[in-house]
Amino acid sequence: MLGEPLTRNNVNHDGAPSKMVVEGLSAFYGSKKAVSGVSLGFREHTVTAIIGPSGCGKSTLIRCLNRMHEVVPGTRIEGRVLLDGEDIYRQDRVSVRRRIGMVFQKPNPFPTMSVYDNVAAGLRLNGMRKRAVLDAAVTKGLKQAALWDEVKENVYGPGIGLSGGQQQRLCIARALAIEPEVVLMDEPCSALDPIATAKIEDLIFDLQKTYTVVIVTHNMQQAARVAEYTAFMYLGELIEYDRTEKLFEQPTQKLTENYITGRFG
Amino acid sequence: MPTAVERKALSEALGRLNENMRTMSQLSVLAIRKAAQALEKGRTRDADEVFTLDQEIYGLKQRVEQSCIELIALYAPVASDLRTITASLEITTDLDRIGRYSKDIAEAAEKLKGMSRESLGKIGNLTRMADMTIQMIETSVNAFTQRQADPVRDIVRTDDAIDALHDEVFTELVEKMTDQSVAPRVGAQYILINRYFERLADHAVNIGLDVIYMITAQRPSKVKRRNGEAHPPPPAPSAAPS
Repeated sequence: MLGEPLTRNNVNHDGAPSKMVVEGLSAFYGSKKAVSGVSLGFREHTVTAIIGPSGCGKSTLIRCLNRMHEVVPGTRIEGRVLLDGEDIYRQDRVSVRRRIGMVFQKPNPFPTMSVYDNVAAGLRLNGMRKRAVLDAAVTKGLKQAALWDEVKENVYGPGIGLSGGQQQRLCIARALAIEPEVVLMDEPCSALDPIATAKIEDLIFDLQKTYTVVIVTHNMQQAARVAEYTAFMYLGELIEYDRTEKLFEQPTQKLTENYITGRFG
Repeated sequence: MPTAVERKALSEALGRLNENMRTMSQLSVLAIRKAAQALEKGRTRDADEVFTLDQEIYGLKQRVEQSCIELIALYAPVASDLRTITASLEITTDLDRIGRYSKDIAEAAEKLKGMSRESLGKIGNLTRMADMTIQMIETSVNAFTQRQADPVRDIVRTDDAIDALHDEVFTELVEKMTDQSVAPRVGAQYILINRYFERLADHAVNIGLDVIYMITAQRPSKVKRRNGEAHPPPPAPSAAPS
């Protein structure tokens, strides 16, 4: 599996269809290569976890998947990222991000906006002004993010007034409100307590029915709980990719074995 | 991923588990050897030692099971750590059964003492059956304690030879009972002993296959066809999403 392209014609090595395909992707910060020649397919309606030690390139990789990497000055990529077979780097950046949403490590609701306005922000940026459409999208987004029951009495209250876990679900609702096809999550639970984490994990598990989810996580148990497939990265390279249970029970690479058993990292 | 402190604690706990497994393995081999001696020489002293060993083995089994459960609960082990623990859990049951069958053989040996018994040598291949079974158990147990998969790769084939021998001895015993050269009560005990050795060999196979899984992460099939060939492993679950 290693050293050869995992994908061809938008299909995974085992014949399953991919929503997103990364082909020979390298990502640079100036002259420093943070991701090196990664090829990987993300299955549709599936949660894929990316694990690895700090600095292995997993966050950089996920940021390349919706063109967030290029926001940092001096960065560039080589290779291709395909969404439904089309290279996202040959498309309009904004429309790409509309189709590929992202949730970050720390909850980052817009501090001056209400819960409602936070969720509606993406749609408004895309020009939507119709109140009924916005109402429906906000309600749907909050329900999908399992936050509706907790905020429905106060959707016009400040988003920043919610707890950390609620704020993160608010950010997920905001990402979902524009109805993306892929949801990227960069360590979405690392700033949350176990109860808030459990709620987000439940949510991630449910989201795969509607979305293709890619999650970067430091927490192996979290990968085991929510992801059907897991990729292990080390020093910018994809070391191993397999079904999660296979990777955790029978890793084929010594590096994977040593990392997941805590012998380094 | 366990932290450095968790890794250290897990490594130490795995070390203790290994020590208990090693001791249990040695006691199990000793139990079957002593049981064979009790059968061959008819000494009550040997049988008594087997009874004691069986108790020791059972006590260790309980400790091993408890420590495996604690390791899983506390450390959520993965990869080779997980395979070592699950293989130990499986193997501890097989070692316990080896202790139990050794006890059964020793009990049969005690019963035979009061009878006009045939010597083992006169029951054709029963001595060979005992020797081969003990050899198989030693091979499997050594492969486990020394973490070597190669010595047990052909263990299913060796078990086929034991199964064939079992059938031979069984037929021979029935013939001897039929022509009355062996008393039925004596013959019945030998038939049981023959069966115990055959089952012991099956436990040696189980241990061997668990050792292969533990070391290589490949799970060989334990199920055998009537013709003695191992079934191919079950197909992997479909990787295609719905």
